[in-house]
Amino acid sequence: MHHNPIAIANLSYTYPDGTQALKGINLSIQATERVALVGANGSGKSTLLLHFNGLIIPQEGEIVVGEMPMTPQNLKAIRNFVGLVFQNPDDQLFMPTVWEDVTFGPRNQGMQGHPLEHRAAAAMRAVSLDPQEYGPRNANNLSGGEKKRVAIAGVLAMQPQVLVLDEPSAQLDPRCRRELIYLLDSLPLTQLIATHDLDLALELCDRTVVLSQGQIVYDGPTESILGNSKLLEQHALEMPLSYSRPYCQLDHAPAA
Amino acid sequence: MLLHIGAFRLDIDSKHASLWHSLAPKTRVLCTLLLIFAIALTPNGRWWTWAHYAGVVGVIALCSRVTLAVLCKRVAIESVFISIVLVGTLFRGGGTVLWHWGWLQVTTVGLQVLGSVTLKSVLSLVMANVLILTTSVPSLLQALVALRMPPLLVAILASMYRYIAVLADEFQSMQRAARSRNLMGSNRWQRLVVGNMFGSLFIRTLERGERVHQAMVSRGYDGLPPMAEATTASRRDIVALTVITGLTLLGQGVYLLR
Repeated sequence: MHHNPIAIANLSYTYPDGTQALKGINLSIQATERVALVGANGSGKSTLLLHFNGLIIPQEGEIVVGEMPMTPQNLKAIRNFVGLVFQNPDDQLFMPTVWEDVTFGPRNQGMQGHPLEHRAAAAMRAVSLDPQEYGPRNANNLSGGEKKRVAIAGVLAMQPQVLVLDEPSAQLDPRCRRELIYLLDSLPLTQLIATHDLDLALELCDRTVVLSQGQIVYDGPTESILGNSKLLEQHALEMPLSYSRPYCQLDHAPAA
Repeated sequence: MLLHIGAFRLDIDSKHASLWHSLAPKTRVLCTLLLIFAIALTPNGRWWTWAHYAGVVGVIALCSRVTLAVLCKRVAIESVFISIVLVGTLFRGGGTVLWHWGWLQVTTVGLQVLGSVTLKSVLSLVMANVLILTTSVPSLLQALVALRMPPLLVAILASMYRYIAVLADEFQSMQRAARSRNLMGSNRWQRLVVGNMFGSLFIRTLERGERVHQAMVSRGYDGLPPMAEATTASRRDIVALTVITGLTLLGQGVYLLR
């Protein structure tokens, strides 16, 4: 395990149409740390996430992932080191069956035969899917929560050291979301979670980074940012409802 | 019809246990191809050869225990498309004229060609449908890889199979959205809206393709899809292939021996 999985220095990115998505980002993430990346729509979260996996090569600035600088020669190693779970599972599940999709990454690493089966089955069990039952199924006929699990299993099967998730709780019902939180909590990996869901950030992450218009405007403990409603509102975010009420149960609400 | 593909399964009979099912998918594809080539390459008018092949196809269809009603329905639907081509063969010249009306004429040669081509296409369709009904698409794709079809081509087929239902869903939700805002009015207007839907579906497909490619690259894809391990052919597969080859040759031999 590396001691300093990700270090970003002075990263900027401008889209081909001239929109500046990231401006001078400096960020360092330690091993086994769980960091929430929050920000309004269009604040540059997704662009930043694509950088972690080398899907976008830095235009300005530098990224070092587990002592490997982000250069085309290192891309293969970096992609094995950082697993990226996309927001929409339909984009990520492109193979005809669940089993083929989960084995896609390890096969690209050159695995075959028994070790491959073992690893894919272990990844599916880690997200509580039965390999026998779900393996031969078509990704189309799964529910949203199941698709999300398969997407995460496909990434876990590559045995990355860093897990990067884009909006993991989007489009999940409360129970699926709760199960996802337990699942992420049980994984001993370095995690970077981009989300609007501040409840999830509070549950999982000790540290939160707030992005606004391509810049980091806050980087510190999650609890203190969630207590700071002014800063949140300034950057188009909102406190979780459970946090903003002065009472715990609805019965205790003051009469209107 | 295509837009409802998410609702129906192609391989409804793939879970049965039979002699045909016990063959490796690769062998089933090869047997099917052999028979279809033999049926299609038989010269026009050799009725006894086709009778022989019809027997073989019939035995395979019965032995694979496909749901005959579904088989007939699918062959019937597909025949409609082929019949448009077939009608053209009826009115060709040559031989004795049996009937004519203006420049339209039906001749003995025309009838013979029509009968031959119809038989060929119906037999081939039955065989191909038996294969599709009894073999799931993923194992068909694996069979194609095992038969040395270019892996990139198979990967394109695989993602088409994966995404056609997603696209159909997306199109249906667009259609619903249009209907919920009272899409009515003239037929012309409706056609225009459907055209626009296809346009935006096309652009979305491009964008989705880009995201899917990103997702593939992020899991180590470097241009060629990973290969599944090749399954070795068992003795049963070899026997089946030999029998089918023998039967096709025998069918061709019917006219040589006379």
